[in-house]
Amino acid sequence: MNEAISSKAGRQWLVDNLDHSTNQGQTAIPAVQKGCCQRCGSVCYARLPSGALYCRECVGLGRLDQGKYLVRQAASGTYPKQRGMTWTGQLRPAQAEVSQFLLEQFAKKKDCLVHAVTGAGKTEMIFPLLAEAFSQGKRAAIATPRIDVVNELFPRLSAAFGQIMVGCYHGKMEKEPAGEQLVICTTHQLMKYYQAFDLLIIDEVDSFPFAGSPQLHFAAQNAVKKTGSRVFLTATPPKDLEIAVKKGQLAEIRLKRRFHGGLLPIPKLDQYYRPFIGKKGLHPKLVKRIVQACQSGHPLLVFVPRISEIPIYLDLLKKEKGLAELKMAGVYAEDPDRLEKVQAFREGKLDLLVTTTILERGVTFKHVWVIIVAADDRIYQTSSLVQIAGRVGRDKDDQTGLVLFCYHYYTRQIQQAVKQIKEMNR
Amino acid sequence: MKCLVCNTDFMPKIDFLALFSPKKEKNSTMCPACWQKFHRLTGTRCPQCGREQEKSEICQDCQKWQRAYQGKILLNHAAYDYNAAFHDLMVSYKRYGDYILCQLLSELAKEDLVKLQFDYYVPVPTNPDHQQKRGYDTIWEIFNPLVPLTPLLLKKAGSGAQGEKNKKARMQAKQNFFLNPEFRGTITGKILLLDDIYTTGRTLYHARDMIWTAFPEVEIESFSISR
Ligand SMILES: [Zn+2]
Ligand SMILES: [Zn+2]
Ligand SMILES: [Zn+2]
Repeated sequence: MNEAISSKAGRQWLVDNLDHSTNQGQTAIPAVQKGCCQRCGSVCYARLPSGALYCRECVGLGRLDQGKYLVRQAASGTYPKQRGMTWTGQLRPAQAEVSQFLLEQFAKKKDCLVHAVTGAGKTEMIFPLLAEAFSQGKRAAIATPRIDVVNELFPRLSAAFGQIMVGCYHGKMEKEPAGEQLVICTTHQLMKYYQAFDLLIIDEVDSFPFAGSPQLHFAAQNAVKKTGSRVFLTATPPKDLEIAVKKGQLAEIRLKRRFHGGLLPIPKLDQYYRPFIGKKGLHPKLVKRIVQACQSGHPLLVFVPRISEIPIYLDLLKKEKGLAELKMAGVYAEDPDRLEKVQAFREGKLDLLVTTTILERGVTFKHVWVIIVAADDRIYQTSSLVQIAGRVGRDKDDQTGLVLFCYHYYTRQIQQAVKQIKEMNR
Repeated sequence: MKCLVCNTDFMPKIDFLALFSPKKEKNSTMCPACWQKFHRLTGTRCPQCGREQEKSEICQDCQKWQRAYQGKILLNHAAYDYNAAFHDLMVSYKRYGDYILCQLLSELAKEDLVKLQFDYYVPVPTNPDHQQKRGYDTIWEIFNPLVPLTPLLLKKAGSGAQGEKNKKARMQAKQNFFLNPEFRGTITGKILLLDDIYTTGRTLYHARDMIWTAFPEVEIESFSISR
């Protein structure tokens, strides 16, 4: 690797004081300025006994106190100019169109929004863009809010770009930076970079915590060079990005067809008047729907709003005669057996999985059908509902399937989700 | 009000009794949804250390201490279960140094602590190196607003944090406390030791041992916010 590239190129880190002079290519700034954290942009309000302000929002990255300094290493040094791509696959015409659009916008240094339906094959579409950036000796990052997506992307990108150094960073691993030309990381990790990248791709921009966090937006702004550009990928664009598109700050392209060219399954609506859980157990209509879905031979994901409800539903379902033969389990985010259960479901060793929104995106199960119990619960944003619906019909041999929203109140989120799905199908 | 844990805005609940009482209760630092994640120790418990369990017999940890101390078990008062929510809170407060959370920990400790009447309240001392690094003493800051503290003990520099050890290493940990040379005078009556978490009891027993070297007659119990 080029010696001119420091392993710390484009990084920023905290120091307690400036007693040793900063090295070449480094600048140091006070960590808190005008009461604002210079790493995440938040207003600092909490104080230590000494009276110094500190930032609570990014405290997990090492507490940033008033009086400390942020040292920033310049992104100097160029990478070898080579495409570095070892992927030899073919893009479908619809994907190629998006890919071409991204190349054009990159040449114009314009930020883009790719609004692609779930299961459209977003990752492959960015390969030519990355190759183009690398051929100019530029540096790129792919950031996403979720660790499981980082872990899924890293091996894929490493394989697709065999001649490029790829780094993988998230909060659950301790690794020294090595100045890799391509960085795959969580959006949180972007706070450790300052004007480091020529190209920053943010995948799943609509998902928590990125969507609601001004700190992460600040970091995503800071991590890109002044001359760099950004690409946002999503199946459900958040409001602020739609506004930016309308104002012309962001170029938008839509991809309405899935990888296999099929349509998105339209959710079926199922309204209830009595509670899902009554004195005599589960609502008979809900039981009937679940029995019907299971009898069709499809693996079934049943989404419930809260972790605490998983065992309750599971117990009640196990008591139902029509479901006595089925193998079922519940899984939640901190479940120690999460990976094993998800794998068992994928392999067909489980027929039914009761879960929360952790399985709303990123994961693919062949032939799966989904039922959302209490789709009107406030935890379901429009984007969550669209993502959950997007679990179904991803396989080219099985492009349809059941998506059932069960609810008492027809919420705006349900209405919007159905509307968006229908729009993308037009 | 902003919740100190989840950062969401919430309406402080209006308690009409508090409204008319002469002493105004301070508003809670945590929203109702976050309160629900903390579990008060109320069920069947070990009579000695407060650990929640199936039977109300002395727990295994306490049986071990009973043997080691010839029956002189330490009576510990504990308020909350050491569950995931409590663990996360302590990680933020101790590892990340999110100082403001001491307000929340004071709030968690308060209800049970004010019911206990003692002559002296002695905080378990923390490692001076960590104190220096964090900018505060984790235990002192929690209890200082609640009861008058007597800094009877100090901790040797360079002794590792309990949280980083496994259970066996904790049980075998050496005595790291010493008597505060600046404390003069004598102690008569009852002492309550104050700590954040009761894990194996090792720390609190060491604290008691050290106090007894100087004041062998004094009666000592302990309070930990969680068990
Ligand atoms: Zn910050
Ligand atoms: Zn809260
Ligand atoms: Zn016990």
